[in-house]
Amino acid sequence: MHELSLALEVIGLAQREAGKNGVSAIQEILIEVGDLSGVEADSFQWGLEMLVKGTILEDAVVNIIRTPGKGKCIGCNIEFEMKTRLDVCPECQCFPSGITGGKEFRVVSMLAE
Amino acid sequence: MCDTCGCGNPDEFKIHDHNHDHDHDHSHSHDHQHDHDHGHHHDHNPEHGHEPTHTHEHLPKKVISLNMDILSENNRLAERNRGWFEGKHVLCLNMVSSPGSGKTSILEKTIHSLISTWKIFVIEGDQQTTRDADRIEKSGAPAIQINTGSGCHLDAKMISLSLKKLEISDHSILFIENVGNLVCPAMFDLGEQKRVVVISVTEGDDKPLKYPYMFQTSNLCIINKTDLLPYVDFSVETAVKYARQLNPNLEFIQMSSKTGEGMAEWYDWLGKQF
Ligand SMILES: Nc1nc2c(ncn2[C@@H]2O[C@H](COP(=O)(O)OP(=O)(O)OP(=O)(O)O)[C@@H](O)[C@H]2O)c(=O)[nH]1
Ligand SMILES: [Mg+2]
Ligand SMILES: [Zn+2]
Ligand SMILES: [Zn+2]
Repeated sequence: MHELSLALEVIGLAQREAGKNGVSAIQEILIEVGDLSGVEADSFQWGLEMLVKGTILEDAVVNIIRTPGKGKCIGCNIEFEMKTRLDVCPECQCFPSGITGGKEFRVVSMLAE
Repeated sequence: MCDTCGCGNPDEFKIHDHNHDHDHDHSHSHDHQHDHDHGHHHDHNPEHGHEPTHTHEHLPKKVISLNMDILSENNRLAERNRGWFEGKHVLCLNMVSSPGSGKTSILEKTIHSLISTWKIFVIEGDQQTTRDADRIEKSGAPAIQINTGSGCHLDAKMISLSLKKLEISDHSILFIENVGNLVCPAMFDLGEQKRVVVISVTEGDDKPLKYPYMFQTSNLCIINKTDLLPYVDFSVETAVKYARQLNPNLEFIQMSSKTGEGMAEWYDWLGKQF
């Protein structure tokens, strides 16, 4: 449950970027969390909402989009969907040579007044 | 703050340098969150028609497009650290594990054997106490202790601050012993060249399945405390199989820092990293 320290990183990022853009309040923040990012989206959102008090994100609506996990098969080279990091290729049961999607953990955009 | 692993404010940490002079570096984060209530009176001057006096009040909503990795600030500092290591020909290794797998014991033994051939420096991360740094100094290498307080991992900023204090010579090895925790340290790049995950045979051979991210981001896996294999239900083969499923490039060394098994292989591995 390291989602709280990640929530603090988001607050820091929002504060820095808002400063650069000369805004003092954020109304909405859009965050992308990949299914294989190692971040549990629900506890992250809960943690963020708990920690925003007194910060630039205090009144912000937190929107999270999830990106499905994908891997490239080491055997037959197809790309297949992965629900967990242990999923195997549905065609040949091989493990992926690498994760090709779902590792995202980023702030897409913020909406300010 | 975090009930399972103790994640807290990442700015709450102390660095103890090897002189034990108690000049703690406290990092302060100031949240510049002022309430700018300038009292915007809507005094529309009839002579100026409806021209707004405070134009910014009527601006449309502003979309700030970012597409920024949430760990980008940490990653930026980590890249700086990495560049610094490369420039000085320092081999930096980030040692991660669950609490008590034997990281400090492995380092003590390593320093003992290699200190006459290599210059070795150590950064120790623990939530509290300078015990591990004290152990390292006794074995003969300069060490600095970072106490993360309620934080459960080291980050790149803590390392760059420590580098300034620990006068690291060129052509040396820097070991960073991360906070005992298999979750958070996986996500925080410190700028190391290689990441070493240590598991001990008392932990269960399914550890890689439970903490996939850590095994996926490591280069070497040390399976420690092999002297205890006769007494526990731990299959090295199973642990290796699970970890390789997650990371086909992961290397393994079986070790006992107690009997010395595998230490020579570990020193060879270190030599090859230069
Ligand atoms: N039997 C056996 N015990 C070991 C071995 N290596 C370490 N230990 C013991 O395991 C315990 C923990 O060792 P440490 O070296 O302090 O482990 P650590 O990973 O640094 O622990 P933290 O810093 O608290 O996370 C100590 O009691 C060591 O003596 C080993 O190879 N065999
Ligand atoms: Mg230790
Ligand atoms: Zn944590
Ligand atoms: Zn396949």
